[in-house]
Amino acid sequence: MLYILFAISAAVVLVLLLLNRVPLSYTVRNLTVRWITSTLTVLAFILVVGLMVVMLAFTTGMKRMTEGTGEPANVLVLSEGADDEVFSNLDAGDVAEMERLPLVLRDAGGKRPVASRESYLIINQPVVNPKPGRPQGRFLQIRGVVDVPMAARVHNMQLLGEGKWFSQAGTQEDPNGNANAQTLIQVVLGEGVARELAVDRTPAETAAAHNQQRLDIGDRFTLGRRQCIITGIMKSSGSTYNSEVWGKQDVVAPLFGKNSITSLVLRTAGAAAAVQLRDDLKNNFKKASVIARLEKDYYAALSETSDQFLYSIVFVTAVMAVGGVFGVMNTMFAAISNRIKDIGVMRILGYARWQILVSFLLESLVIAIVGGLAGCALGTLCNGLSANSMASSGNGGGKMVVIELVVDANIWAAGMLLAVLMGVIGGLAPAISAIRLRLLDALR
Amino acid sequence: MKYLLLIYKNVGRNLLRSLLMVMGTMVLVLVVTLVWSVLAFIDKVTEEKSKDFKAIVSERWSAPSRMPYDYARVLAEGAARKDHPEDIHPDDSMTWQFFVGTLDRENMNFRNTMFGLACDPDKLLTMMMGLEKENLAGQQRREFETAVEKLKQTRNGIIIGHDHLKNLNAIIGNTRDTTLRDPIGRKFKLSGISTFTGLDLEFEIVGVFPPGRYDNFTAFNREYYQAAMDAYPGEHGGRQHPQAERNLSLVWLKMPDRASYNRIVEQINASSYLRNPEVKIEMASSAFGRFLEPFRDLLAGMRWLLAPACIVTLALVLANAISISVRERRTELAVMKVLGFRPLQIVLLVLGESVLMGLVAGLVSAGVTYAVINWGFGGVKFPIAFFDAFLIPINALYWGASVGAGAALVGSLFPAWFACQVKPAEVFAKVG
Repeated sequence: MLYILFAISAAVVLVLLLLNRVPLSYTVRNLTVRWITSTLTVLAFILVVGLMVVMLAFTTGMKRMTEGTGEPANVLVLSEGADDEVFSNLDAGDVAEMERLPLVLRDAGGKRPVASRESYLIINQPVVNPKPGRPQGRFLQIRGVVDVPMAARVHNMQLLGEGKWFSQAGTQEDPNGNANAQTLIQVVLGEGVARELAVDRTPAETAAAHNQQRLDIGDRFTLGRRQCIITGIMKSSGSTYNSEVWGKQDVVAPLFGKNSITSLVLRTAGAAAAVQLRDDLKNNFKKASVIARLEKDYYAALSETSDQFLYSIVFVTAVMAVGGVFGVMNTMFAAISNRIKDIGVMRILGYARWQILVSFLLESLVIAIVGGLAGCALGTLCNGLSANSMASSGNGGGKMVVIELVVDANIWAAGMLLAVLMGVIGGLAPAISAIRLRLLDALR
Repeated sequence: MKYLLLIYKNVGRNLLRSLLMVMGTMVLVLVVTLVWSVLAFIDKVTEEKSKDFKAIVSERWSAPSRMPYDYARVLAEGAARKDHPEDIHPDDSMTWQFFVGTLDRENMNFRNTMFGLACDPDKLLTMMMGLEKENLAGQQRREFETAVEKLKQTRNGIIIGHDHLKNLNAIIGNTRDTTLRDPIGRKFKLSGISTFTGLDLEFEIVGVFPPGRYDNFTAFNREYYQAAMDAYPGEHGGRQHPQAERNLSLVWLKMPDRASYNRIVEQINASSYLRNPEVKIEMASSAFGRFLEPFRDLLAGMRWLLAPACIVTLALVLANAISISVRERRTELAVMKVLGFRPLQIVLLVLGESVLMGLVAGLVSAGVTYAVINWGFGGVKFPIAFFDAFLIPINALYWGASVGAGAALVGSLFPAWFACQVKPAEVFAKVG
């Protein structure tokens, strides 16, 4: 749809150029002669379009992240009524039964189902020395996994560099501690949360750290009343796992009073088998009430938040664009009132009214296109920046995420479409007023 | 006075140009007003107060918080010990027990899902943000007091928000009529979802929340909720509902000052009763800050990018319009100089014209925004954290006027300077 509109607007510009009989150099020269006015108008366009590009980059980044999380061959099972993993509680017996279903993939030996049992929880983490203006605590998302290699396989998750998954015990002795000290909890982190937790470090700690941008392997942080040691950083950029801490389920979940499995992720042979398994669980699994969803669908539904932001962006952009339209109208009305005699002369030279209209419209479109291109280019500078946000399906719950701002061709198309629209709307009324002038009045 | 009249007359000379300038100012001030209204509310709730402290007690580690209902009694007293006269009590308290249910279990969606709060009805009038005496007055206050009184008398009564009421009309009313006529006495059933599955509650509407912040909110009697919990085993083979043991979400405490807050923090932290699970007490501002933390980049973008960009765009649009106006009036400005107007007077004339238009347009825009958004739409619908709608504060009138006048002043500085530099000899040489 966007591209159709963009193509229509590009076609309108092209048709105007083809129809144009007044030399384009005349149009451009008029703009350069009034360079202050033209520049101010272009700047207003740059701001409006640039701002829209940045805002759309945010929602596009969030959409890409939610749509990019999850495997097409995976089915996610939650307890009935739970729209979010955090509200789910699955019975261990039911979980075992679901893992035995024929559509669930088996490992090479055919003995074990390729499935991951997980406890997802959100905890309050106090921030000891918050930066000025920041709260004294944050929410942290923890995923306790029962079988680490299996979870890595089901989620296709890998670690960066020298990282290692935590041991089957999920804990280790503190090499610096005394014999009575509590063991350290081994965890792996998403890159996003590793950056977020690094904010808590003092300047001295940051200076001494071997990775100053984020927490890294061997670094420690507090989880509840226990100390954690990082054994690896996940290659999770672009997914919601980027903001999660993964640990051994039977270590991290009971620490926060959660003893049950919240989520079961079942791997099938492929996307078609996943659909079949989902339907099978929905229609034929009578032992317990569960909700089975394609994993990709579950995460895609989290884009409800980005949709809500998108509506707000559309509203704000539309209002700002109206402001920009008034600006360009002012410029064009002024241009016309300065060139009333020019219009009369052009009429005497044989230019038809519509040709003069096209000329003035092109003048406003030149401003719009220059401003639109510069605005898109300026907004593109935000491409790749990361931002914190919340992704939610709108029914409660949700996940805190770190998203990467994405400026793509769609956004450029939207930016240029907006610019052209502003140019046409802003230029049309003044252009019409120009051609309504009577020849004698114009020359008087 | 004559000078002011001249400014006023100049504004009216090119009505189209002035109108475009005013319209441009109005729409851009509208955006700034909306953005600042959201930010001002968030700043207000995350700002630590100097008196009338509100604190929130919740489960220390896990979210969502789930505490045993028994904690309510102890926390309402600020964990003050009976044999310790030096222990102090909070001025007021309120328990919150969350409930989420749907009107249509088979086709559950956002529209037929309701978020409910089981609480002590009396506390709705004293402890709920925006519904206290100082924040809700007149007819709205009286209507809400009546609703609360009915809620006390009706065991399964419910006070409902406007958006929920509209959805309710459309869904169970089996009609497209989404008006809010005569909702009182209407009955409906909510089937618990998520961790509340198995709790099916039948309600009777006894009142409606004032429009705005509580549009997507419902409140009902905590006794009714507890009774449903108690009845659950009877219908489920003696098995307790999973929420039965721990269904207290939050306890709000109100204290007169910081010292009282600190004392109550000590009492709660020292209480041996509040150990399993552990609880934490924090100021409401701190709790709100934690919930808003995931949105910090978004809010920073609104504060430091969106609003400033709007103001700069406004200044550019105004600068453009004023510079055009000055250029067109060079001859007139030259005549004024010949007539004895000093450069400073000409600067003030140009600045006066633009500031007058900016001020009036900004004020009108903010006023219209205040009326339309608050009275027509029940606030700015921008779902962020658990805030649903943001009302435009009355301060917006001041912001609108300031932004309009300020941007006009900045935008017209260069054109005004250009105007006072006009040299009559040069202008008349060309005219000649």
